[in-house]
Amino acid sequence: MRTGHFKERTGQLVALSDSKVVWGWTVAAIAALIVLPFVIGNYQLTLMVSALIAVIGAVGLNMLTGTTGLISLGQAGFLAVGAYTNGILLADYGLPVWISLPAGGLVAGLISIVVGIPSLRLKGLYLAITTLAFAFIINHVILYAEGLTHGPNGLFVTGAKMFGIDLQKGKPLYYLALGLTILTILGALNLSRTRIGRAWMAIRDHDIAARVMGVDLVRYKLLAFFMSSFVVGIAGGLLSLQIRFINIDVFALILSIEALAIIILGGLGSIAGAVLGAIFLSFLPEAIRLFFETFGDPQSTLYTSYVYEIRGIAYGVVIVLFLRFKPDGLIGVWRDARKYWSNWPLAY
Amino acid sequence: MTALLELDTVTKRFGGLVAVSDVSLKVEQGQIYSLIGPNGAGKTTVFNLISAVFRPSSGRILFEGRDLTHLPTYALAGLGIARTFQNLAVFKHETVVNNLLVGMHTHLRTDPLSAAFFWGRARREEIRARERVEEIIEFLEIEDLRDHTVGTLSYGQQKRVELGRALAISPKLLLLDEMVSGMNQEEREDIARFILDLKDELGMTVFMVEHDMGIVMDISDHVCVVNHGRKIAEGAPGEIAANPAVIEAYLGTKRVAA
Repeated sequence: MRTGHFKERTGQLVALSDSKVVWGWTVAAIAALIVLPFVIGNYQLTLMVSALIAVIGAVGLNMLTGTTGLISLGQAGFLAVGAYTNGILLADYGLPVWISLPAGGLVAGLISIVVGIPSLRLKGLYLAITTLAFAFIINHVILYAEGLTHGPNGLFVTGAKMFGIDLQKGKPLYYLALGLTILTILGALNLSRTRIGRAWMAIRDHDIAARVMGVDLVRYKLLAFFMSSFVVGIAGGLLSLQIRFINIDVFALILSIEALAIIILGGLGSIAGAVLGAIFLSFLPEAIRLFFETFGDPQSTLYTSYVYEIRGIAYGVVIVLFLRFKPDGLIGVWRDARKYWSNWPLAY
Repeated sequence: MTALLELDTVTKRFGGLVAVSDVSLKVEQGQIYSLIGPNGAGKTTVFNLISAVFRPSSGRILFEGRDLTHLPTYALAGLGIARTFQNLAVFKHETVVNNLLVGMHTHLRTDPLSAAFFWGRARREEIRARERVEEIIEFLEIEDLRDHTVGTLSYGQQKRVELGRALAISPKLLLLDEMVSGMNQEEREDIARFILDLKDELGMTVFMVEHDMGIVMDISDHVCVVNHGRKIAEGAPGEIAANPAVIEAYLGTKRVAA
């Protein structure tokens, strides 16, 4: 157990962490992530980039659904807006990636305000249905605004260069994703310890009390929509850079559900939980594949022929198991482990 | 001198039900003012009207001479009106410190961008807010609960957190809705002591709705009694206790033997 530890200044109370151990591990983890591409192969690097994109998306969704308590099934829509904005500006208009990528976030954020306004008086299931409808509208717009989006033909996203480096290749893309992931997590952590993050959680826990405390619900709900979708839009832009060809099939409804699954598995409302959940669900299909392959032929062919079905089942099973046995999610598991560790050998 | 808070013939109807009918009252600066009445008399509705959770059907509510009737709910905290709720309305998934910090909301100015980077002013502002919250924690004697999740605390402790959150607004007028209901004797005495301290040391005006006659009679400067949405009496605690209309409202009329 940690003892003999005293804080002497208020500044230490508002710090992200006062523990040298935590900072040490964080620096070590970032260093490991920087060295990683030189150790692993191309396939693993692609998986890592996907996981980082999932982390960004999950941290973004967590602002809206976890912290502010507004359930959104429109994630696929916001991802699509970010991906298409980035892709169109980059490939069709030839803008540099440092403009097109933030523009993707911005457009997603602005559209989310349009979605947010009619949703202001809605909560829970009703909001979920509204945002779901929005994702369908986006799908249709993409399909029928052919002049802009190339409709059903899909869009090739190429030409993301900076300083002569092709940002869509393995290592540069990985570092871009890593940098944005760190920025996103840091930004989300900082927001959560200022009046903005607290206003969001106040809205989630008791909106009338939040109003009486001086929180303007309209403003803060729309801000949550904007900030969350901005981040998700950036994730969408990164996704388009990674897969290089996008069409509406990439942004199917299942993506919105996966996004919700990630933050529920991680532990709603927790940034660390969103990160853990995203990593967990990103590598789950890989773990399943390895699991099937260890059994040799009949099972591994079974996996390759039913890959989507098996994945779907696995997501479902994992979510049910978590909700039943560990409703706090992965972050709950982590807290329990930490408590056990710091109190050992005493039970509590 | 204008009163700090003035209700001028305020009426609130819910459909056909008249919850509050032509109530006028004046709360003076520095007073402990109690609003009492039997269950369903409309006390909490009066509170919801003052804190702009509901709008009056007719009449005006003036705070420092300013009409509150058309202000949005969130603007009231900025004017210096804070309240607690009859049934707990804490942010139960958050720590005590974060609950109190929400009360500081109107005193903070950080914009989203500087908040995301936690630079300069955002950081200084957080430190200042935290210092203020630590003072309130000390005042309410909840130092040991500081980092607890509010949902895990006992009822009395949660009520204390709610009081702390209201104090973080640094209000001129504090509205307490049945603060001591469900508390044991010791907790009730603590709360009574806090209220007196707030009045004596900070000159805060306290307006409370209360069922606990002990605390009302002990610490109030002025008592107002409502029944069926109408004001039936007001005056010093001693006068109220002896007022036949009040006794009738609480106990009913004596049946005259045939």
